Amino acid sequence: MVSVPSPTHGAHSATAADAVEVEQPPLPVKLVIAGGFGVGKTTAVGSISEIRPLTTEAAITEVAAGVDDLTHTPGKTTTTVAMDFGCITISPTLKLYLFGTPGQDRFGFMWDDVTEGALGGLVIVDTRRLDDCYAAVDYFEHKDIPFAVAVNAFDGEIQHDLDQVRWALDISDHVPLVVFDARETGSVRDALLVVLQVALSRAENAEAG
Amino acid sequence: MAAGEPVPHEAAGSEQGSPEPVGRAPAIRPFLLTAGRVSGSGAAAALPVETQIVATSAGLTALPSLTFEQHDIVAACRRPQSVAELAARLRLHLNVVRVLADDLRAAGHLAVHVPNARTVQDISVLRRVIDGLRAVPDSRGSLRDSS
Repeated sequence: MVSVPSPTHGAHSATAADAVEVEQPPLPVKLVIAGGFGVGKTTAVGSISEIRPLTTEAAITEVAAGVDDLTHTPGKTTTTVAMDFGCITISPTLKLYLFGTPGQDRFGFMWDDVTEGALGGLVIVDTRRLDDCYAAVDYFEHKDIPFAVAVNAFDGEIQHDLDQVRWALDISDHVPLVVFDARETGSVRDALLVVLQVALSRAENAEAG
Repeated sequence: MAAGEPVPHEAAGSEQGSPEPVGRAPAIRPFLLTAGRVSGSGAAAALPVETQIVATSAGLTALPSLTFEQHDIVAACRRPQSVAELAARLRLHLNVVRVLADDLRAAGHLAVHVPNARTVQDISVLRRVIDGLRAVPDSRGSLRDSS
């Protein structure tokens, strides 16, 4: 790609002779919100986004899991799915995007198109359908992307205690597991802050080590 | 018509280079605009979805001469937009926007700010995001319409 790579704060890539005032774009950063269908991803994005969530179509690579069809030849196909996203203006020079990645059970998904360059991921879990989020947990672990798991407490209740959830999902102790309410702005904010703390700790360790 | 005669031409008509495709699904047209090109198919990596795009003054000057999607994209980029926002607001496939935005950048109509991959490891950026997110109140008022 021959596009002008902008330094951290987005240098002007047009000519200096610009007559018209051209607004400088903010530095964009993003978090990915993942989880099974209907688990509250769009609700969570909408609860904290400063704009109504927008929908676009993203290309994802499906890796056929072949769980219940042993004759199926494992293979990859690219498919297009709807993806909801929102944003939060942190400052005039920094904008946080939140991308809700589509998920389905039965298939493993590779969300590389969306997760490349993400600060981290939040996997939303519905305790009534725990297995819907396996793909997302596996994905973030495999890609070594900082992430946390958030149990969406529908109506303030969860079906299992957190130790059971952690055991069932087989997530390691260093992965934060929280309960939140996707409908509450403050609750979504706090869940995202947990993810960012994981990312910050990792960056600090990388720098120290 | 006797048996054994060639079938009427209707069936084969579309294979003879008819210049007027009709009845195409709207979703097809954007990819016609990209001449069938899709992003990420060549050596160039796909633009990240959060890539910021803004019209250059040359692009805004050229706006009256641009048509269709090219016009809409440059016009929408009077203010910086992410690739994802552009796709959503113009109801175009993400990969169509990627291709057209790169064309418009090559023509000097758009400035494309590809995010720096090292940002993920940038402690000062992470701290700024954390501080900014902490400032978000417990509840928001009604969302403003995205425009």
